[in-house]
Amino acid sequence: MMYGAKRIAKYLLGSDIAGRQIAVRPDDTFIVSYPRSGNTWTRFLIANLLFAGQPISFANIERLIPDAEAQSSRYMKRVPGPRVIKSHQYFDHRYPKVLYITRDPRDVAISYYNFSRKYRHIVDDYPLEKYVHGFVTGTLLSSGWGTWAENVGTWMAARSGRPTFLLLRYEDLIANTQTELDKAARFLGLDASPGELSRAIENSSADHLRELEKKEGDVWVTTKNKRSDIPFIGSAAAGKWKSVLPAAAVEEIESTWGNTMAQLRYELVTRKAESMETQLAATAVLREQGQ
Amino acid sequence: MIRRVIAGTKRVFGLHRPGHNLAIFPDDVFLVSYPKSGNTWTRFLVANLLYPDQDPNWSTIDRLIPAPEVMSKRRFERMPRPRVIRTHDAFDPRYKQVIYIVRDPRDVALSQYHHHRKRKLIEDNHPFERFLPRFLAGETNEHGSWKQNVGSWLAARYGDPRFLLLRYEDMLADTRGELASICGFMGVEATPERLSKAVEQSSPKEMRKLEQVQGDQCALTKDTRQDLPFVRTAKAGNWKSEMPASSVAAIEAAWGPLMKWLGYELVSGSQAGPADSTSISAIVGLER
Repeated sequence: MMYGAKRIAKYLLGSDIAGRQIAVRPDDTFIVSYPRSGNTWTRFLIANLLFAGQPISFANIERLIPDAEAQSSRYMKRVPGPRVIKSHQYFDHRYPKVLYITRDPRDVAISYYNFSRKYRHIVDDYPLEKYVHGFVTGTLLSSGWGTWAENVGTWMAARSGRPTFLLLRYEDLIANTQTELDKAARFLGLDASPGELSRAIENSSADHLRELEKKEGDVWVTTKNKRSDIPFIGSAAAGKWKSVLPAAAVEEIESTWGNTMAQLRYELVTRKAESMETQLAATAVLREQGQ
Repeated sequence: MIRRVIAGTKRVFGLHRPGHNLAIFPDDVFLVSYPKSGNTWTRFLVANLLYPDQDPNWSTIDRLIPAPEVMSKRRFERMPRPRVIRTHDAFDPRYKQVIYIVRDPRDVALSQYHHHRKRKLIEDNHPFERFLPRFLAGETNEHGSWKQNVGSWLAARYGDPRFLLLRYEDMLADTRGELASICGFMGVEATPERLSKAVEQSSPKEMRKLEQVQGDQCALTKDTRQDLPFVRTAKAGNWKSEMPASSVAAIEAAWGPLMKWLGYELVSGSQAGPADSTSISAIVGLER
């Protein structure tokens, strides 16, 4: 009952978290991804392009590219348009324009595991295999965003091929940051010079973000009151699963999400995708986007 | 501010409609479909099967198998479990047990066109060719486009034992058989007599008869034109005679591969479509 009263009071004051109920505007752009897939990095990259006049940090990122999952509906209402908003939501047909970042779920699982330790959701010696099982079957707290495949799958199913949808892979962003950021910039209607792109990349480097996190980790809404001995900015690398993830966990992920993974060109090591056509179709989807 | 106070007061008493905030139980069963795809008929079928003694009709159906946008939070909390809930939502990860009904989008488009006339959103002489582009873009209702709705569910859940995919067309052809599948899915034991009775009581004829006297008592039909029925032809393939060829071609060009995957024959010959073995995740990712 107390909880109910608190919620009602929050609703009255507009201090309820915007989240899934966010009031969407026609000129909004959303940076969407499953958690632990490079969303924060992308936010910094984009913010450094959009607001090039000021240093971007954890102290002002919530004002420039707010997180709909962390801010209140009143806060979101006061952000001047056109807004660029961070989100982890599974498909929402109201989002007018979406930049979607996807990442190899085998790496997402490891990153999420560390994040869950940081948030004190699991203890340090929680078995990784057990965690991955929960991750795949959608029984962790993260399942509020759907499972990894549900999240990316619903967006692709609903929006692939549209000019208002751009799908980027975290792995490509790491390998060719400049090219991929250029795509994102053009998608946002920005005409950024190579110099401007390089500057944004430099200002968003993993090293720089780690430094900022050390200084501002206790003021940023996402890291405040969380364990500071585990960083939010993780390894910022692709393919860590190859050395860290137990074989059984890899197999569980691939046997559940193999088709979606193959479609996104994540090579399977324990099984083959359902058919050649799957891969052909996948290539067609990415080719359509000029990748 | 005033509006928030009124809404807040409603919340205190649980009279607001929970919508997306609906508290969900693990044993809830969701009847999901894009609008105008046979959801109401299925609701009647299931209600007649599960609650035959509660007189399922247009005035009781909103209570027996409610929608989160229509019924109050309090009502949802007082329902006996397991609950059956109906919705037109695109994929929602919180819905674990889902019966999804899909219908040929060419018939859905026609049905929605007539529904818009009934709801006084368009004039009787509104050209279908003007309605269709808005339908394809998902602008004719609040649930996105047909492709987005169907695609999001199939991409996320196809193959999951807790996801039952039914085609409206198959339900028309073999209503008893498909209702038996629903029983199996829900773990409901039904005698042949009980099945037959539910089918009979949910026949379009029966539903039309009830609609004539109770049309103003259901959220779906209240405040709409009473000269046009909600339960219309209840047939498959109306598009063949009623729809302009150019419109048929436009729908098939937009959603051909997914339609073909679902077994809806394409007639405009605009594309070959993917191979039959292609996985659903690849197909729904193909077109807009």
